[in-house]
Amino acid sequence: MQEPLLAGESIGTAAPPRELSRRSRIERILFVLPAFLFHLSWGWYPVIVAFYLSFTNSRLMKPPDFVGWDNYNRLWHDPLVAKAFQVTFTYAALSIVLTFVMPILVAILLMEMPKHVMRWMMLLWFLPLSGIASTILWRYMYNTRYGLLQYVFTHLGFPEQRFLNDARLVLFWLIFPGILFFGPGLIYMAALQSIPTSYYEAAEIEGASFWRKIWTISLPRLRPIIVMMLTFAIIGGLQEFSWPQIMTSPTGEPGGAARTVVMFIYQPLWGMMRLGDATALAVMLFVVIMVITIVYRTIFKEDPDV
Amino acid sequence: MSLFPQVGRIQPKLRIAWWALTISLCLGVLLHLFPFYYMMALSFTPAAETLSPTPVFFPRQPTAAAWRLVWVMAARDMTLGFSERAATLLKYPFYVYFGNSLFMTLMTLALSLPITSLAAYANSKLLRGRSARWTFLFFIGTMMIPGVVTLIPSFLLTRNFPFPLPVAPNIPGTDRQFPFIRIWDTPWAVIIPGVFNAFNFLMFKGFFDTIPDSIIQAARVDGGSEFNIFRRIVFPMSVPVFAVCAWLQFGGVWESYLWPLLTIQDAHKQPVTVVIARLVQEFTRSSVTGPNTGVIDNPQLRKMLEAGLSWNGLMVLGLLQTFPIFVMFIICREYLMKGIRIRGLR
Repeated sequence: MQEPLLAGESIGTAAPPRELSRRSRIERILFVLPAFLFHLSWGWYPVIVAFYLSFTNSRLMKPPDFVGWDNYNRLWHDPLVAKAFQVTFTYAALSIVLTFVMPILVAILLMEMPKHVMRWMMLLWFLPLSGIASTILWRYMYNTRYGLLQYVFTHLGFPEQRFLNDARLVLFWLIFPGILFFGPGLIYMAALQSIPTSYYEAAEIEGASFWRKIWTISLPRLRPIIVMMLTFAIIGGLQEFSWPQIMTSPTGEPGGAARTVVMFIYQPLWGMMRLGDATALAVMLFVVIMVITIVYRTIFKEDPDV
Repeated sequence: MSLFPQVGRIQPKLRIAWWALTISLCLGVLLHLFPFYYMMALSFTPAAETLSPTPVFFPRQPTAAAWRLVWVMAARDMTLGFSERAATLLKYPFYVYFGNSLFMTLMTLALSLPITSLAAYANSKLLRGRSARWTFLFFIGTMMIPGVVTLIPSFLLTRNFPFPLPVAPNIPGTDRQFPFIRIWDTPWAVIIPGVFNAFNFLMFKGFFDTIPDSIIQAARVDGGSEFNIFRRIVFPMSVPVFAVCAWLQFGGVWESYLWPLLTIQDAHKQPVTVVIARLVQEFTRSSVTGPNTGVIDNPQLRKMLEAGLSWNGLMVLGLLQTFPIFVMFIICREYLMKGIRIRGLR
């Protein structure tokens, strides 16, 4: 039996714990087993199947035949697919530019409020409105006849807008509600609360101004979280489906102007049950996301001391 | 108050800046709360007023007609004066769908949180060296792969697990099929794939890594199984992480749309998201939001309008759909705040 550890002493993670008994070894395996089984069947197995399926011409009702690179070739040359990719890139880029910075700014500024104000703000500011409720509300507000936004536009003297039916601006209108979404701000605030105020006081003694303090103290501390959230935003933005789908369905009015790749997978390919094509397109999207993520990671290298 | 200068007199310029900041933040809050208010206000306006070109911020004649209509849709209660048509706008009473969503969400949470947290704990504290690294990669590796890639294979697997084929193959040499599991068209199709959540795993592991080993070692010296150590010592310490993960996963499952749309055909088992989305789509089908608005010649739409459903009813449905998320947010925030206070700020 080892002698009891003194307070503050730690055995260190490198040394193998000597008192792990056989029973504990069984427990170790049991802890991991259910997660392992679930993840193997629903995490890794579908991925392998996906790569296989993309080389077949699978339909739902008949077993697949191997067709090699056919699906990929066809998709590569399809102008509608190219359009879907273009829409997807624009959507993701616009979404990040418009909606990524606000929560960070809001979180930084909210830290300046006195304690109880901050608590209330934290509750009210980040209150969630469900996606479906948002779609209902915004479809109502975007209505070209009696929507709130139309009213605002016409009364400010601007011409009548077609909002969601306007093929050129529909992406902007789709992203616009996202500006009000400050959800990730909570995470930023939690991180900001861990910065000791002495940092700021020291900076102030050195003569740092308001913005300089933000730039040199708050932002570097937030940097790993920002990088992580940006990764999620990029990966998520490129796969957007629910929001554009529900907002522009059922007619998909702008004629493909708001059709992201995932929507493209769902509507034409799925509707005709061409699973091989659909999976191939999904794999193509995956490769694109992978490349973008790798490029992005090499640009924003992780801090060595994080 | 760390960004504003602390030392020295508070000059008027700073005072003004601070007040400007406070006011703009308050305005921002109002802007953020506006959708909620607007939905509430709309739900109390009479249907005709919601279709008028001038926006209604406060109904001139507030009426609870929309709420009553939804109640009729929910409970099929015919005594409130709405026609039969109103009651059958949805194929089944509303509480059926609500119950489906609730079942799926709570069941997923009940299965996922224990399984994921135990695996993360094992990975963080029980496994060592190579086995820890490989299991970590195993669990995290698929995070880089976007969900859309696994969409179709997962769909096929829900039909004939473990064969991603339309029909399970026969055991070679015989006429009988392999045994297969079909969870398609049941709530389990939504629950089972969601049981292991890689993101939650990452959060749990990150947190468990910050627990000093000495605590665990001391507990081991005292005897007791690893499971008891987890239950008695580690779990009470990790309430904030559990709160965050529960909150995120609740939101994720409650709002899931694409996956239930694909895997659940039977209207009786569908969750609220699918049902409401379909209602909204039908309501707007006849280009009510299109360039030729005002032409209500779509029979389905006319049926709905005659039944009394208009945007106000849809607002009610939207609010009902948000309500559990709201409740969950408040609950989880409480635990989150409590936990952070106990452990002290990181």
